[in-house]
Amino acid sequence: MAASVETPSRAYAWRLWALLPLVLLALVVGVFVARGDSLLELVGQSPPAADAVDIRRVEFHPGQLRIHVTNPQTDAIKIALVTVDDAIVPFTTEGPAKLGRLRSSTVVVAYDWVKDEPISVGITSSTGIETVKDIPAAVETPSASARGFLGYGIIGLFVGIVPIALGLLWLPSLRRTSPEWLAAFMALTAGLLSFLGVEALAESFQLQATLPGSTGGAGLVLLGVALSFLGMTLLSTRLSGKGSHAKGMTLALLVALGIGVHNLGEGLAIGTSFAFGELQLGTFLIVGFMLHNVTEGLGIAAPVAEGRAAPSFSRLAVLTLIAGAPAILGAWIGGYVTNDILGVLFFALAAGAALQVVVEVSRFVARRAPGGLSSGYAVGGYVAGIAVMYGTGLLAA
Amino acid sequence: MSKRHLSRRRLLAAAAPLAAAPFAAKLALDRTPDASAANHSAMDMDGTEMAGMEHASKPMMGHAAMIGDAAAAVGGPNDLDHLLYPPAALPYEPGRVREYTLTALDREIEIAPGVFFAAWTYNGTVPGPVIRATEGDTLRVKLQNAGTHPHTIHFHGIHPSKMDGVFEVVQPGDDFTYEFEARPAALQLYHCHATPLKKHIAKGLYGALIIDPKEPRAPAQELVMVMNGYDTDGDASNNFYTVNGRTFYYARYPITVKRSQLVRIYLANLTEFDLINSFHLHADFFRYYPTGSSDSFEYTDTVMLCQGQRGILEVEFAQTGTFMFHAHQSEFTELGWMGFFNVID
Repeated sequence: MAASVETPSRAYAWRLWALLPLVLLALVVGVFVARGDSLLELVGQSPPAADAVDIRRVEFHPGQLRIHVTNPQTDAIKIALVTVDDAIVPFTTEGPAKLGRLRSSTVVVAYDWVKDEPISVGITSSTGIETVKDIPAAVETPSASARGFLGYGIIGLFVGIVPIALGLLWLPSLRRTSPEWLAAFMALTAGLLSFLGVEALAESFQLQATLPGSTGGAGLVLLGVALSFLGMTLLSTRLSGKGSHAKGMTLALLVALGIGVHNLGEGLAIGTSFAFGELQLGTFLIVGFMLHNVTEGLGIAAPVAEGRAAPSFSRLAVLTLIAGAPAILGAWIGGYVTNDILGVLFFALAAGAALQVVVEVSRFVARRAPGGLSSGYAVGGYVAGIAVMYGTGLLAA
Repeated sequence: MSKRHLSRRRLLAAAAPLAAAPFAAKLALDRTPDASAANHSAMDMDGTEMAGMEHASKPMMGHAAMIGDAAAAVGGPNDLDHLLYPPAALPYEPGRVREYTLTALDREIEIAPGVFFAAWTYNGTVPGPVIRATEGDTLRVKLQNAGTHPHTIHFHGIHPSKMDGVFEVVQPGDDFTYEFEARPAALQLYHCHATPLKKHIAKGLYGALIIDPKEPRAPAQELVMVMNGYDTDGDASNNFYTVNGRTFYYARYPITVKRSQLVRIYLANLTEFDLINSFHLHADFFRYYPTGSSDSFEYTDTVMLCQGQRGILEVEFAQTGTFMFHAHQSEFTELGWMGFFNVID
């Protein structure tokens, strides 16, 4: 009797005990913050803060420049003076002039800039440190107009939805093919998704490397990948029921989702590049992306073809929208609200989703394909998938 | 007077059609209390402010955005008077001794709005104080080194080798008195000659030394302008250019002079890093006496000086109005070396 009374209170006491390290940690941190400077002096004196701001983006509007500035360092930086092409100019700030850690402001300068010519903007801190950003060519920044909105929408449509719809037209042929060849096409889907996953991962790391150190390291990429991978796993389990594996329409839906998340990132990249004037608004580029993405339609068609019942038109339309429409959304986001942290996350999410679908498709091929994963059809299909994506990707480069 | 006041106000309002209310508001907020109590150039400032209110919807651009309160300059209206207006010339008197004390001080000085420069100064300002003597006076200049590095004063002119400010280096905490006869009559200058030389000059240790001829120069409104630059980020090129140490100071507080009256400008170039500096006057011509050491002059509106070169400019303004003066290197102009004369009757 006595023991059963004692046990809960003892457990309670142990739980309290778990708080002890936290309390002690708070104490030690407090002491160090209060006396830390004198401790650090034992080691040596810190150099002065770099006081270089991060000029994130320069927008060009008629008669006006808008300079987006972030403080990447721990110490506050005061924006004291602004120069354009090495001349002091009057300016106003939207947001604080004194930037705390990771705080941002927009510097607004009335300036008669010259179209298509190089220009440099400089931000001088109160300690006289000047950060200069050179812009290779001044091009008017698109503002949110109905025309521009429509334009990005159309680009997204051609890059995302049209090629996937076209790719799905392979469905009737796929339904009549032999199990060996169907397995090969499923493997091809896995191959192209692997390609997309690796590509998105590389893009994510590349973008992350340009971020100021204090906004997160490679862990940010891992966070995105893990979130989407686990999210897709959860979704796959829910859709296909406990214990069974995804197949048929369910697998097609997963593939469409994986491709959709990737296309969001692709649309984002295209929108951002156009907004920065970094990409030539060429039809060739759009054509390249279209050819590249037709294979994505094929990737969705393969698991659908494996299903017993013929799919309804509306189901196919939904799959197309899930896979393709995010390109439109991405183009809008990229065109108007560029944020590099968001970009890193989107690409990381795309990588995680694509890789998870590769796992699903591979399981399917392993179970269903004549000869399993090591059959010539599966291996050949997988390699062909990667090769096709690489080949068509060259067109969009 | 009040009628002219109004017409100038209207004129400036017309010249500043692109003034912006947000910018004017920002400057009004940033303005120091003594600056708002500006006196000698208040008319111009009012004019610009009026323009700001009237054309609130358009952003301020061009030079109209660089006069009066809109100019990117620091401080109150009389802050630099001791550098602009030299001490009076004294008539020649045999056996006179002129004594000055210069204290080397490390100072954080505000050179442009919100921009601070860790300067080395004589008496706390860059440039240092104007030293003046008449030819034949004995100059006795005591250097007290209250800074953290060894310094000297090297004067231009004719003097003994042991008074040249090259070998007699003054350590922090020490002092040394330079004594020599002031000659020849000219605009001279002085600067630190401790090593590393470039660093000691770039940090701000220099100033003007006027040696008046025994036969006095004609009475005039006299002004001293020392041209300099500041490398605030240590990349061996200047971020700012000024006369008398603050960017756009005389754009914010134009120098008032009288029409038809002789104006004499003692102009010296102490700009480090750049090969030359220059002076250009708008809408008038002046007589330029190189080094101020002879009567020969050039009649011009633009002069070019290398580092250490100096001269005397004499002008009688032909018109009343607001006239710009600046380095005729546009880059220097737009990085702070620009001002205005306000010519009145």
